[in-house]
Amino acid sequence: MGKHTLIITEKPDAAQRIASALTEKGKAKKNEDNGVPYYVAERDKEIIVVPALGHLYTIAEERKGRNYYPVFNFRWVPRYTAERGARNIRTWIEVISKLANDADIFIDACDYDIEGSVIGYCILKYACGNKENISKRMKYSTLTKEELEKSYAKLQPHLDFALIEAGGTRHEIDWLYGVNLSRALTISARNWSGKYATLSTGRVQGPTLKFLVTREKSIRSFVPVPYWEIKAEVKIGGSIFETEYEKKRIEIKSKADAVLVACKGKNGQVEEISVRRFKQKPPVPFNSGALQREVYSLFGYTPRNTSYIAQRLYLEALISYPRTSSQKLPPEIDYKATLKKLSKASKYEKLAAELLAKPELKPREGKKKDPAHPAIYPTGKLPERDLNESERRVLDLIIRRFMAVFSESAIRQSMKVNINVNKHYFYLRGRQTLKDGWLRFYGPYVKSEEVLLPKIKEGQTIKIEKVVLEDKFTKPPPRYNPGSLLKKMEEAGIGTKATRANIMQTLYDRKYVRDRRMVVTVLGLEVLEVLNRYCPAVVSIKLTGRLEKRMDKIQSKREKRKDVSVDAVEILKPVMEKLKEKEKIIGEQLSHAVKRARLEERIIGECPHCGTGKLMILYSRKTGKRFIGCTSYFKGKCETSFPLPQKGTVKALGKNCRECGWPTVYVRIKGRRPWTLCFNPDCPSKENRKKKK
Amino acid sequence: MDAMLQSRLSIKRKQEEEEMKCVICSKETAKKDYCKQHEKAYKHIIERYAEWKRALEISWEEYLSEINKNSLTGEWAKEVAQHLIKSGEKQRVPQN
Repeated sequence: MGKHTLIITEKPDAAQRIASALTEKGKAKKNEDNGVPYYVAERDKEIIVVPALGHLYTIAEERKGRNYYPVFNFRWVPRYTAERGARNIRTWIEVISKLANDADIFIDACDYDIEGSVIGYCILKYACGNKENISKRMKYSTLTKEELEKSYAKLQPHLDFALIEAGGTRHEIDWLYGVNLSRALTISARNWSGKYATLSTGRVQGPTLKFLVTREKSIRSFVPVPYWEIKAEVKIGGSIFETEYEKKRIEIKSKADAVLVACKGKNGQVEEISVRRFKQKPPVPFNSGALQREVYSLFGYTPRNTSYIAQRLYLEALISYPRTSSQKLPPEIDYKATLKKLSKASKYEKLAAELLAKPELKPREGKKKDPAHPAIYPTGKLPERDLNESERRVLDLIIRRFMAVFSESAIRQSMKVNINVNKHYFYLRGRQTLKDGWLRFYGPYVKSEEVLLPKIKEGQTIKIEKVVLEDKFTKPPPRYNPGSLLKKMEEAGIGTKATRANIMQTLYDRKYVRDRRMVVTVLGLEVLEVLNRYCPAVVSIKLTGRLEKRMDKIQSKREKRKDVSVDAVEILKPVMEKLKEKEKIIGEQLSHAVKRARLEERIIGECPHCGTGKLMILYSRKTGKRFIGCTSYFKGKCETSFPLPQKGTVKALGKNCRECGWPTVYVRIKGRRPWTLCFNPDCPSKENRKKKK
Repeated sequence: MDAMLQSRLSIKRKQEEEEMKCVICSKETAKKDYCKQHEKAYKHIIERYAEWKRALEISWEEYLSEINKNSLTGEWAKEVAQHLIKSGEKQRVPQN
């Protein structure tokens, strides 16, 4: 039997798609060896497509053990030797090695980006026995049969070594920073308190936490200032419209009162009407960040969730590769063919037909480029299975965005009517869409306010129905949410399109932040204070951004891997020395923070009985049972207590009951659906339930 | 004898300095009543009073009570306001 071609992919789904696309004789055959699937495609020569499970190799310290720092010596090792719970990786590597023995042609078909290139390179080098230099590379942006066939026919003669160098450097530097700094924090706290708590930070995690802490500090020390707004309701043609005073905010109460007195009971006169027409250009195609942000603002899915959903859609060949920075849609995509395919779905039939009738299809593009992939676009393929709600929504959004970029600008008109009321001016504003253009395609996902005004003439007398003075206060800066934080990280140039969403999740996992509108916890504040005080370099946004740029330059061969790595270590070394020197004091500060954070977690809300204490999850010294009690009990002031379920986990929800306003908890018991518990025995919701029974 | 007394006094002063704690959260602080966080909030309270006074012509005490009630006031600023109300500290900014 002759030797076969071995294709390596990043995930099992991709392996199956590639094998199905490349087989010329019947269907691709699925085989399994020790639970590891691989696919056989028949062509002039047998092709075996074997998947990885993401990274099969990782970085680990040369000296074993996790209880020391600093660590500067490392090597690439199979994941199963370095990580608990990665035992199955061993079988995986063994099967790939076995398949590589009978192969004479090697093709790396992992995702064409930094991560994919490192995954493929490590497998070819370590599992296949130094085949990285003879391997070819498949480059594709969608998993459709046509593109995979094309990509196989035009294989790149070798791996993209610049991309691999860039990826390798990033992994190594991130590992060095992450392991050293996290160990320093964790070990300091453990040595001081004798208790273990995972504390982490990293090259990007630290500066990201800094954004949040800076905002948190502004919010927590914010003092509002009063101001006033004046609005007048006017009656025109039987309808009431709201107008706003010429000065948006009045900062002195007596002045606001004077305006009110001067305008009350007076009629107004239209002095000037100005009309402005303007174009609203179509949006640009989605890249990873823009998709994640738009999905968060429309549906509330976190960036990490969106990236999982997009990955599933990509693996089913419904959309192009979703981890891209590009805002370009090159003509090779064949817009027409995609639109024709989309028109087969009744939902898009008319819209696609409208675009297909245009003499030329030219997308509106953004400035950002990505050498590896175009912007995210639909392949036109229709789903083979019933998509779940979130997948359906994201796919629809991508399809509509794709169509919108080929459409015309919308034309809108704004109108401003100046009304003179006893020498004070009020503005009546109208807005209307004259030509909907791209709004028709992107309709469900764009808000365009329409305020239609009746016919008004200059000189016309306007009846003032009501003049109202509204008390207002300046507001603190808004909290970051996953969407706005992602944008901030992008603007500051820290992290990559593939890592930002996960870094954000780590901040939640470590309990440095909580809630959707991100609130920094005591622990988050203290960790950043320690880093800021003892090693400001590792939370410096400038420094991180600069390092990020240098790592990017490796990809375009404008920087050398060695230089960047050496410089990064040079920054880290003195930082680690300082952390070691101050270990005791850092340990004390962090241990207190961990203790306070654990206490904070148990606080449910304000005591509805005494109003001064806080309700907290407590444990009985006698029985060990948990219950809710008021903190004022310890001062002998309040004896409020409530029972709690003894099984499962109970967490403070941070929300009050809709019916009675009491604080609530979230209860989760294995095998049961989690529920929200209001512990007010007289809550109307309980009454309603009793009645139903 | 004098030297001994002086050295004792200096040790005591040093100890006092070392033991300085924020009057609100008991966090250690250097030579001030407030820790860094509460100090920042305190500064904001002082700065904003001028604007409140211009807007509403209210007294320092009324101002503190207003910001203490306001839901937009930050947590740390509220804690400082409550402390100032309790301690009856007079306004430290010059009266115009």
